[in-house]
Amino acid sequence: MKRFATRLLRRLRDLLLPGDRDRDIQQELELHFEAIVDEGRHAGLNEYEARLAARRRFGSIMHIKDRSHDVRGAGWAGWAGWIEGVLRDVNHAARRLVHAPAFSAAAILTLALAIGANASIFTVVHRVVWNPLPYASPYRLIALDYGIPAMNMSSGIASMTWQLYWHLTDRSHSLQSIAVYDAIRATLTGRGTPERVVVSHATPSLTRVLGVSPALGRWFTEEEGVPGSAPAAVLSHGLWVRRYGGDPGVLGTAVTIDGVRASVVGIMPATFAFPFAGTDLWMPAQSTRADASFLFIVSGVARLHDGVSIEQSRAEITNLISDLSQVSPNQRGIVSAALPLQEMIVGRVARALWTLLAAVGIVLLVACANVANLFLVRYESRQREIAVRRALGAGRHGVLRYFLAESVLLSMAGGALGLALAWAGVRLLVMFSPANLPRLDEVGLDSTVVMFTAALSLATAAVFSLIPLLRLRPVGDSLHEGGRGNVAGGGRRLYKGRHVLMGCQVALALTLLIASGLMIRSFQKLRNVDPGFDSSSALTFSIGLPQREYSSRRGAVAAHQAILERLSAIPGVTAVSASSCLPLLGGCFGNSLFVEGEVLDRALMRRFASFRAVAGGYFEAMGMRLLRGRGLARGDIDRRESNIVVNQAFANIYFPARDPIGRRVQSSTPPNSSLPKPDWLTIVGVVSNTAMNALAEPEPAPQVFMPMSIAGGPDIPPEALLGPNVTTMAYVLRSAVPPAELTAAARAAVAEIDPNLALARVRTLQDIVDRASDQMAFTMMLLAIAAAVALLLGIVGIYGVVSYVVSQRTSEIGVRLALGAEPRSVAAMIVRQGGFVALAGALAGLALALAGARLIESLLYGISPRDPMVFGLTTLALLTIALFACWLPARRAARISPIEALRSL
Amino acid sequence: MAVRQIDLLQGTLDLLILQTLSRGPNHGYSIAQRIRELSDDVLRIEEGSLYPALYRLEQQGLIDSDWRVTENNRKAKFYELTRKGRAAARAELDGWVRLSKAVARVLRAIEQGA
Repeated sequence: MKRFATRLLRRLRDLLLPGDRDRDIQQELELHFEAIVDEGRHAGLNEYEARLAARRRFGSIMHIKDRSHDVRGAGWAGWAGWIEGVLRDVNHAARRLVHAPAFSAAAILTLALAIGANASIFTVVHRVVWNPLPYASPYRLIALDYGIPAMNMSSGIASMTWQLYWHLTDRSHSLQSIAVYDAIRATLTGRGTPERVVVSHATPSLTRVLGVSPALGRWFTEEEGVPGSAPAAVLSHGLWVRRYGGDPGVLGTAVTIDGVRASVVGIMPATFAFPFAGTDLWMPAQSTRADASFLFIVSGVARLHDGVSIEQSRAEITNLISDLSQVSPNQRGIVSAALPLQEMIVGRVARALWTLLAAVGIVLLVACANVANLFLVRYESRQREIAVRRALGAGRHGVLRYFLAESVLLSMAGGALGLALAWAGVRLLVMFSPANLPRLDEVGLDSTVVMFTAALSLATAAVFSLIPLLRLRPVGDSLHEGGRGNVAGGGRRLYKGRHVLMGCQVALALTLLIASGLMIRSFQKLRNVDPGFDSSSALTFSIGLPQREYSSRRGAVAAHQAILERLSAIPGVTAVSASSCLPLLGGCFGNSLFVEGEVLDRALMRRFASFRAVAGGYFEAMGMRLLRGRGLARGDIDRRESNIVVNQAFANIYFPARDPIGRRVQSSTPPNSSLPKPDWLTIVGVVSNTAMNALAEPEPAPQVFMPMSIAGGPDIPPEALLGPNVTTMAYVLRSAVPPAELTAAARAAVAEIDPNLALARVRTLQDIVDRASDQMAFTMMLLAIAAAVALLLGIVGIYGVVSYVVSQRTSEIGVRLALGAEPRSVAAMIVRQGGFVALAGALAGLALALAGARLIESLLYGISPRDPMVFGLTTLALLTIALFACWLPARRAARISPIEALRSL
Repeated sequence: MAVRQIDLLQGTLDLLILQTLSRGPNHGYSIAQRIRELSDDVLRIEEGSLYPALYRLEQQGLIDSDWRVTENNRKAKFYELTRKGRAAARAELDGWVRLSKAVARVLRAIEQGA
């Protein structure tokens, strides 16, 4: 029993401390060796002779040790023996790699770069594209989008009416539940400094639709959704922590939002970000069936019943809308274009991210090709060692383990380093990514990403270790050739393998280069799009007037007018004005209009025009071009005349081939509206088009600019449809000095009028333009980085292959030179050979890029995915660089000294 | 070299080691010496075969080892038979004796027949 115990202990020690066992064997063998030396000494040999004889007899101590290891590992119980074997392989491989630092560093860095890039993009894709919605059964959630086929809009009307909400709630069979919401900015006061916050008004049904519940307290009750009930508010986790220090005692207390006191009833979990990240608090949206609004002022989200397809639901909603339009004609011709909520939130971003994931995948392949090349070189230099191993009985299995251990170690090291790079990379991605990515704040390395990286590392390891194995030759051959620079035979076959790898690298690198070339051209075109205004040197910010102090339109307009006057006195300000809605930011008041004298055709629906209430001199301050007539001046505001300016698109749609100047139009209202008809508006000018929502709009949106003194206001019901509410206006300051320097002076000026007014969303017009293209800039930048890395790795690969070929053909080249070949023709031969491979790779790359054109098409702007210019230039550039990478080693070949080369033969 | 060294049959080395050890614990060098002496220098055990064999036998639980001091005051690793090893030695010996008798009979028969 005791013996068994000691044996078990020894085995454990052997397993855990292989070094101990090594020392044990070493010591035993050394003692044996000394005994043999003694024997020789007794036989009359001197010390040196005795040692020499002993060494001859003893062979290599290391060799015995290795075989003893094998034996010791073998009999031990299955798994332990296996682990021991693996540990030993890994241990040996680690030692071999440490002894080849250049090879190891090159391989690890290459892999780390590629794996890191993959892990970072994967992290974002995993969070943002795959799991954008932290809700129960998210695939059954749909966003209620609508289209008007008669106006050539198949989708994109993301808003709906309260009437439709109640109609769908009562009649729909396809929808399990439905909720509507909006999002506005408001001022939060009480407990601390006033703060501009994003408030979303949502129906009490929202949490039921999304399948979420508050982290603390409760959500709204049905009663709180009825107008006139006591105001309630639910805080976001972010606001709760930021403003109230995460104190649960805030429940039951009151907060003041735009002067309305509401009691805090709940706090949502940190993951809840609906309708978008940055929503600070929710209040109940209030409406009843009896007086539901006909305005398109809310957005809808719904949950499908089990087993109902989105197409079925669309058909049902469209039918219900046509029922409704019998009583409410303004909803005539509208069809449902409901889409999965996930698609609405991440649709466009998802395509960009998938493209990026594909791009970094290609980078990984190029990196693999490089490391495979390194492995081939290493394999070549170890041919003899491997041949000896095989001659001594190591099977293919043993040789596989030999390389597998090395490649697993390398790729794991590369993976670990790559994970560290990804950690930094993800931070960079989050920092530079466009603001509209959902769940971005949650993006981080998690167990899934670590697993992904590990799997990726192992997969790459498998590829490398297989490559040398494919090259195993009969033992005799290798031993025969081993160690000497081979002249022909096996070497040729290796060239072929290398050339295939090199061709693949060229093809993949070219594909990425073309993709990034297309993105760069698209971006240039997008940046060259004329937004319709002068974005340089102008500061903008918005001011919201609290409704309690400024409760009438007259009061609000007077306040804005006073602020404008004060602002215009700031030194350096050359022009100043304000508008209810800035270009590129969307979210404007919209309605269709009647043209005076036109017969009302029920079938004819005009396109919605967006209405902007402006202060005097808006076009001058924005740098918009006046095409006809005149602009709106301060006098128009003061006189409250019903003069408007329209844009070119409006003129084209409402007055095709006619002069709109002097014509009158009227904001359309439903026939059964109890409110008086809005005033007729006289067109006095036409301005150039400006981008409404995005720089790359398929067609310019019709727009109407009206004096702010005749638009909507706090004392005018929105159903009157006069125009946008002028409570909140965006100011524009054109300046002769850098616009950012004006911020402090502007704050001071506004404070002089009313110290309680806060400047919100302070930025330059250029910031707005930049933001409009930042998603493409982001995609372009990452794609360009991926292409650059692929190109760099590709060049290194080409250079490596051609250098290797030259080094292997040194003797042959020496013979050629000795026989009188021109050095120049030798160099040309090498370049030709490399160039031929590069050309073949480039052709493959072109084919690949053409085939993949459709994948990238949706990301491009103003350029064909098969743009011949981009294809031609990138191919030319790549081939030039590839030839240069061939030329460097070729030049070396031409300088080979024939005598040296022949001597080494 | 007057005497040709013969290659040991697979398994024979194990038998020789076990037999040598059946006379008492011994260390590697001495085991090799003993076999060489007893075989009149015909069987020379290479160190490259001896130690792997020793480790294998130890692994199989037939012998056991520990560090001791030799007669001339050197440290050495001594191997000795375990109970299982003693039994294995007897069985192997029986097998070997049967095998060599059988071989001898066959050879004699061939000689007589010729």
